[in-house]
Amino acid sequence: MSDPRDIVKHSGWIAADVPTEPVTLPAVLVEPPCGVKELMTENLVVNMGPQHPSTHGVLRLLLELDGEQIVRGEAVVGYLHRGIEKLAEHRRYNAVGTLMDRGDYVSGIMNELAFALAAEKVGEIEVPRRASWLRVMMSEINRLASHLVWYGTMGLDAGAMGQFLYAVRDRENLLDILEDVSGQRMMFNYVRPGGVVNDITTTAEAKLRTFLKTIDGYMEEHSALLGGNEIFQGRMRGVGIVTKEMAVAFGITGANLRASGLSFDVRRDRPYAAYDEMHFDIPVASEGDCYARYLVRMEEMRQSIRIIRQCLDGMPEGDHMGKIAKVFRPPAGEAYAAVESPRGELGVYLVSDGTDSPYRMRYRPPALYALQLGEAMLPGLLIADAVVSLGSLDFVLGEIDR
Amino acid sequence: MQPDPTLIAKTLAEAGVEASFEEVRALGYVVRIAPESVRAAIGALKDCSRSFDFLVDLFGIDTGEAIDVVYHVRSFGDDAELHVKAEHAYDSVLTSVWDILPAALMAERECAEMFGLKLAGHPNPKHLLLTEGSQPLLRKSIEIRTAEEVRNR
Repeated sequence: MSDPRDIVKHSGWIAADVPTEPVTLPAVLVEPPCGVKELMTENLVVNMGPQHPSTHGVLRLLLELDGEQIVRGEAVVGYLHRGIEKLAEHRRYNAVGTLMDRGDYVSGIMNELAFALAAEKVGEIEVPRRASWLRVMMSEINRLASHLVWYGTMGLDAGAMGQFLYAVRDRENLLDILEDVSGQRMMFNYVRPGGVVNDITTTAEAKLRTFLKTIDGYMEEHSALLGGNEIFQGRMRGVGIVTKEMAVAFGITGANLRASGLSFDVRRDRPYAAYDEMHFDIPVASEGDCYARYLVRMEEMRQSIRIIRQCLDGMPEGDHMGKIAKVFRPPAGEAYAAVESPRGELGVYLVSDGTDSPYRMRYRPPALYALQLGEAMLPGLLIADAVVSLGSLDFVLGEIDR
Repeated sequence: MQPDPTLIAKTLAEAGVEASFEEVRALGYVVRIAPESVRAAIGALKDCSRSFDFLVDLFGIDTGEAIDVVYHVRSFGDDAELHVKAEHAYDSVLTSVWDILPAALMAERECAEMFGLKLAGHPNPKHLLLTEGSQPLLRKSIEIRTAEEVRNR
């Protein structure tokens, strides 16, 4: 060998030279030099986001930090604002669905459904029974896909990685089914006032049956992989506690509210589509911490699978689109319709003036109210806990900004 | 679902709020109050025996003559919902109810910026979604296309 010098170690390194006796540190390192104790510390204001992987979209957090602890925090939103409510006033009723898809882009079916329900309420249209069942089925497929995204990214926030890949594997299968039925993976434009655009195809049904054969085992795997992990539990238990009073005061809905001990679910308490014909349980937890929110969402996924099975087996015969004018002009009036989206109560308040486009369409974003609570929770948290707490509230910035 | 109208009328009368009631097709009960009595009305509804303490939503509607600010409140105890409307003149002041219902914090900011109302009594009265200084987007007088864009369509 022409050059025998060490590459990694420096030439003076002796491998066996490990001290066996405890090292006595020089006094100067044990006792801080005189004056250090009187040093002043200063709070630091840092930007977290808008391009931060833990903010689930384009959210900017202004954090005032004392070391690793948050003293004050402010959420700055609006980076994704597209003016959906304004644009809806300039579109025909059938075309508003495409805008709704782009609100909460992880659960498009339910956004469209909220608008369609509001339009049907103000226009007093009957929806065929098969269409209602298809709406329920597609909603639950979409809810499962959405919760899988949350499950994957929640683990990422807490420092785990593997579960994300397994979650995406299952979600891809679900998006394939949705694509087969609606033609699109995420921006479905599937639910329209009066019914749904397409009936379920035979290939989609076959795919769904194949999926349902494996999903129960996979759900066990998901639970064991993340929820059974001691480190994950350590990060989630007792962190980001939301009491029932806080949740009510801040307008929290959906799984976040149920994890704080209040059992309110739009699907059961204000039934829409065909939910009054379905059998499902509504999981409730009383702890209100991140782990409770995790458990509630995991159980919701199992209940979604249960509903999908019921829809597949009991799908009534009939038409998937009701009798509705090509240019839909509901009579003047106002209506509010809500659906249980994966993020909570997604409502649409619709004002019609008798023309072919809405006079005013208000999109009630459940994620905005969740973020509001997240912002109020920040003071006192460590940064790492703040990431987990905000992640467990499961908001989507597309919906907050609209 | 539907609230007890006599209870609400009694609650609001005791708080000294003048209110008119109407039942709107497909929507349910709507209580109309003056913008000055919003705080008194929302506070009284929260403190009444059926406690409307959950703010579902807060938003505005440009009716062409004024801004209707809608407070959609819910009582979990009574399982009832109520829409409270207050007609605000253009460019007038929207009084914050955030200390009664903290859920109003962000919704009020959005309502104020979108309809060009001034926000009073709010801890953080900045714009929420739009940049500072932008036009009140949801007013009917604001066009989504400029005259030039319409011409070139």
